[in-house]
Amino acid sequence: MNRHLEPEELMRYLDGELDTTASADIETHLGRCTECRREHVIFQRMKEDLITMPARHGATQGSVWDAVNRRLTRPIGWLLLVVGLALWTAWAAYTFVVSPVDVFEKLTVGAIIIGTVLLLASVLCERYRERRHDPYRKIQQ
Amino acid sequence: MERTSEEADLIRRCMAGDARAYEPIVRACEGPALRVATGMLGDPDDARDAVQDAFVRAFQALDRFDAGRPFRPWLLRILRNRCNDLLRGQRRRVGLEVLDALPADHDGVGGRDGSGDAADARELIWRALGRIASEHREVLVLKELEGLRYAEIAQVAGIPEGTVASRLYHARRALRSALEALGYSGVSMEVEP
Repeated sequence: MNRHLEPEELMRYLDGELDTTASADIETHLGRCTECRREHVIFQRMKEDLITMPARHGATQGSVWDAVNRRLTRPIGWLLLVVGLALWTAWAAYTFVVSPVDVFEKLTVGAIIIGTVLLLASVLCERYRERRHDPYRKIQQ
Repeated sequence: MERTSEEADLIRRCMAGDARAYEPIVRACEGPALRVATGMLGDPDDARDAVQDAFVRAFQALDRFDAGRPFRPWLLRILRNRCNDLLRGQRRRVGLEVLDALPADHDGVGGRDGSGDAADARELIWRALGRIASEHREVLVLKELEGLRYAEIAQVAGIPEGTVASRLYHARRALRSALEALGYSGVSMEVEP
């Protein structure tokens, strides 16, 4: 092999992706070619530094299973809550409508309840949107 | 966890909706996943969030997974996509804030010549990783931190196997340039003729 090594050849050799014959050819070439040997040594040293590099602090602390499990089971909880609330609200509304209360009183109580729910929902939506777009949300006190 | 019939059984139970069967799979794969995510994102907290997202998304997409194949490469591919989404969305590069904090006359650390502290040298490599393009960082992390074969990297990164070698070459050159710019002398040692 008289030419310089192709980059891909050098990478495959460095990473042990070549068969024995091809590796032997490259070793022979590296023994003769200073330029390719220099390139190989530099990459080899960088590779060793990367392989021995420890994980950054915190990356391997504790399992993520608890958080994953909470997120997997959370939708079931929400589903039950929403279905339960919907049924309960429908039953309460029906009971209220058929009850022997004055129509004016029914309209007044209905307006108060609907208004309260709308206000609460709008505040919650606003807080949620602000939280999502807050650039400082990850900064701890 | 080795690729065994045990993993396939657990996957089938998960597909049937049994979330408890997912725990051994998560515990077996979370180490590699956290290393890859930290390598790609730089920040350990962001990495944990990305790994959690990837596990949840993988569970929810199990109906598209072939239970006869190994789970880890599939998970790493989902994780890789999630990390790239985060990087694109936040329009940032790993460690830029750290680099910005370096003084202008920062002369780096010595790396292999013994003039600097080894821990500093490794931190410098982390910073240099943050300076290179995400597609380069991705293959380096999968190769050097996770020790994947070219075929596995191709599967995770969604590129032809032939492209892996050339991308690794450019990634290593880019990392070398970044390290030299940061004053790391370990990549510029002279070699005996």
